[in-house]
Amino acid sequence: MTVAAGIGYALLALGPSLALFVTVISKKPFLILTVLSSTLLWLVSLIVLSGFWRPFLPLNSAASWPFAVLIITSVAFQEGLRLLFWKVYKRLEDMLDAFADRVSKPRLYPTDKMLIALAGGLGHGAAHAVFFCLSVLTPAFGPATFFADQCPKLPFFLVSSIIALAFATIHTFSMVIAFNGYSDGNKLDQLFVPVVHLVAGMVTLINFTTGGCSIGIPILYIITILTLLHCGKMVWGKLTENQIRL
Amino acid sequence: MAAQQNHRAGGSIIDSLGEEIVRIVTPVSICMFLVVILVAVLNSGSSSSPPTINTIATIAYSETTSDSTWDKLKGALLNALVFVVVVTAVTFLLVLLFYFRCTHFLKLYMGFSSFIVLLFLGGEIALFLIRKFSVPIDCFTFLVLLFNFAAVGVFAVFLSKMAIIVTQGYLVAIGMLVAYWFTLLPEWTTWVLLVALALYDLAAVLLPVGPLRLLVELAISRDEDIPALVYEARPVINHDQGSREYEGQRRAWRRRRESGNDSESDHNIVTSDAEVTAPLIQNRVSSAADGQESSVASTDNSFLEGIGLGSSGAIKLGLGDFIFYSVLVGRAAMYDFMTVYACYLAIIAGLGVTLMLLALYQQALPALPVSIAFGVLFYFLTRLLLEEFVVQCSLNLVMF
Repeated sequence: MTVAAGIGYALLALGPSLALFVTVISKKPFLILTVLSSTLLWLVSLIVLSGFWRPFLPLNSAASWPFAVLIITSVAFQEGLRLLFWKVYKRLEDMLDAFADRVSKPRLYPTDKMLIALAGGLGHGAAHAVFFCLSVLTPAFGPATFFADQCPKLPFFLVSSIIALAFATIHTFSMVIAFNGYSDGNKLDQLFVPVVHLVAGMVTLINFTTGGCSIGIPILYIITILTLLHCGKMVWGKLTENQIRL
Repeated sequence: MAAQQNHRAGGSIIDSLGEEIVRIVTPVSICMFLVVILVAVLNSGSSSSPPTINTIATIAYSETTSDSTWDKLKGALLNALVFVVVVTAVTFLLVLLFYFRCTHFLKLYMGFSSFIVLLFLGGEIALFLIRKFSVPIDCFTFLVLLFNFAAVGVFAVFLSKMAIIVTQGYLVAIGMLVAYWFTLLPEWTTWVLLVALALYDLAAVLLPVGPLRLLVELAISRDEDIPALVYEARPVINHDQGSREYEGQRRAWRRRRESGNDSESDHNIVTSDAEVTAPLIQNRVSSAADGQESSVASTDNSFLEGIGLGSSGAIKLGLGDFIFYSVLVGRAAMYDFMTVYACYLAIIAGLGVTLMLLALYQQALPALPVSIAFGVLFYFLTRLLLEEFVVQCSLNLVMF
């Protein structure tokens, strides 16, 4: 509606990520580079997906099943990339440990590894928020606003920002869960992340029906809170178990 | 918790790794961000064409929207060719002057052109902003402020007895001003020009007859610096000497690391810059088309050579790189913000790749080609593929 509203929507979607960035990530340059690389990776995955789906667009927006296929393929591809990201990270970890030995500094702590995972997740989450929410936010800086049919009670930009916030949080913390799952070999954690991603994606399909967003968004937030709780429990377990060992 | 804190006192390697890269990425990002803000503010709303400038970059062909695609392409190629030829000629002139040791003249010229950029280009942009926001200011106050701004800028760039943050700030400001002016060029000309300059940079730095390579070799053989505008990412350690003359010299550093073991690395700090100012063609809009070819130089790093995340020494980036990265992003901003984000990430990725290659090859490398290539590629991919996809999804509130 105005510049203030536009900035407000942007901060709604990106505020927590920004806070996380400023307090945790900006202190360590390596994490900033991790954020940038994972954002780039997410963008590349999005470009590949859009290249694949380009001939089929524009989809008929009345039917929801083409979008279901779109979401399934996209989530599958991105989870595959997450595995690739993990493999690259493993090699990087070995190189960093070798480097640390050479300069007689301590090796990577578990908290360091989790911080790197957090930075990777934050990159993904920020990329999601930027490309799905901020890039369509440009008209919001102008004098008017826009209401979509699916959600007639709230301005479209507000709904978009709220959904983007949920997804950014999910992306950020599921990376931590995923990396911990892969390193510990915990099957539950390894499966948790793709399932949550897929379910969250499918839940947004509820937005297709008129007034659907009043059901879809709360469910999405329940999933987000579930992810947060699971991640918190896992991290707490990791920290306390390390303390006992020390 | 206490046991962990004892461990923490030693510090972890991720605390300081990659610091140089971040120190170079930050000012580049700030410059790009400022140019995008300027473009968004000054070009929004006005459906009429922004003030077109007549410079040497449009001497061959002035693009109008009614021309056919093929005409536009031909015209843009012609423009780019003329510009590159002029830049090459002036760079060779610079090499010649450097060869005949007219260093003093070059320094004066550098200061003079910074003054012109800050005064005239800065003044024009300030006038645009004043007109846009209806700032109540009278012309005498404005002139006094502008003149002081430009004068301090010249001193900041010339003398290095200033706080380094002031010097860095002014360099970013100069880059931003010149980049904004370049975005006023017609669209096809801008893109073809960027690609042409990237190719020129590649040739000039890597070919044995390239002017920039000659300049670098001359500077190394004489152990002198090249008088040019270069952004240095961290303060030079010998503050008592002060002046920027030390930048081009070979010197051996010794830096004590926190853990106490010495790491001695030989730093070959090689900067290669050529500053070019093309003469004005029309005095309707005074804009000096500053082209500054540059290459990235870095210090030798014996540790993580493969990655280039060394942790001692300074990385230097020429101002021309700042300018052309910002031109690319500014042009992307004229289309839509999605392209801005994509091009920003692409350029930063290109910069990272260049720095890695730098650590690998240990010689002066052109900083433009990789980033411009990625940037142009991502711009067209985003515009053609990504935009449709993302807009489709987000308009239906379907996200993943």
